[in-house]
Amino acid sequence: MRLIPICFIFALALTVNAEELPDWSGVWARVEGNGGMFDLATTKPKDGLAGDEGVRQYPPLTDLWEKKYLASLELAAKGRLPDPISRCGTPAGFPRLLALPDVFEFIVRPEQTWVITENGPNILRIYTDGRPHPAPQDRWLTYTGDSVGDWNGEVLEFSTVNMIGKDKTILDRSGLSLSSEAKVKTRMYLIADGLLKAELEINDPIALTAPWHVVRHFTRLPHSAKAYDYACAENNRNPVTGAGQTLTLDTAGQVIDKVVDQ
Amino acid sequence: MTKVVGTLFFLVIITCNVMAHHSSAMFDKSSVIEKKVTVIEFQWTNPHVWIEVSILNNSRTVDFWSIEGRGPNSLFREGWRPHSFQPGDVITIRFNPMRDGSNAGGFIGAKFEDGRILGQWPEII
Repeated sequence: MRLIPICFIFALALTVNAEELPDWSGVWARVEGNGGMFDLATTKPKDGLAGDEGVRQYPPLTDLWEKKYLASLELAAKGRLPDPISRCGTPAGFPRLLALPDVFEFIVRPEQTWVITENGPNILRIYTDGRPHPAPQDRWLTYTGDSVGDWNGEVLEFSTVNMIGKDKTILDRSGLSLSSEAKVKTRMYLIADGLLKAELEINDPIALTAPWHVVRHFTRLPHSAKAYDYACAENNRNPVTGAGQTLTLDTAGQVIDKVVDQ
Repeated sequence: MTKVVGTLFFLVIITCNVMAHHSSAMFDKSSVIEKKVTVIEFQWTNPHVWIEVSILNNSRTVDFWSIEGRGPNSLFREGWRPHSFQPGDVITIRFNPMRDGSNAGGFIGAKFEDGRILGQWPEII
């Protein structure tokens, strides 16, 4: 009985009709990102690649998080940074999912928008039906967190909290991460036909000393393009050891590597 | 035929971090090897495609190599198909070798006997 009035309240809160929403249909690919770094704007040297000596990003990190990042960079340079998504079935989480390779789909409805990454499993659910974030006693940390927002004209504005953070997720192959206290404000909108922009303002009292602004773009692929299954466990010949080493297996499942960490 | 092409800046740019699902740290991206090989098997699978090849070595015995490519979804959108490589195909293949010298590598490009090319194959290297 309680559900009826709550749903009624959400319905009243809808501020847009379906025909007023922008066309984000089709299949999209990221514009930035061939270097394995989340934030190209603060990457130095520019065009540097994750894992290469001396390549890093410069978000406004706290001293604590700077130490953590330096430790991750050292592991990445040795090829021993364990990436959670190498374990098939583990989501990249938010906001990293906006920087993944392969393609994206943005399903827009008045009450909700879904961001689906082909390189999964990742589905970001953004509620725009007027609901708030859950009460503290109804929250737990998840990979994509909890996203609620609204449409401001043709701009989707939403906030995301409750992300699982450090030790379960990273932002990229350099090992940059956020804490579970991170909050992200995102604005997404078309800046041209077939070009979608996402502006992120990341706040994190544990990891950051100031808001960190990151921009990502997506380009719409030709109409014939499709997204497909990404069954990571289908033929995963690159298991990761407890020491963070990525192995290579032959067709019989035997380790090819001549050198394996003990 | 084995040919160590050496450091190719532009190829490094192309091939870096092509491994979406795992680190590519095991590959020496500053080095490119070119080999004439025979395809044994083509695995059109997630999270990566694999080209299993054989090569006659200097001792007149056959070595088996596993060459790892990106995922089939993105490769399909770039023109690859599930049967792009057939068992018995003789191809020239370029890849970043494993740092530890084992018989595997990260795919860069392949040239078929009829001149068809998959992946990256700049003429000037």
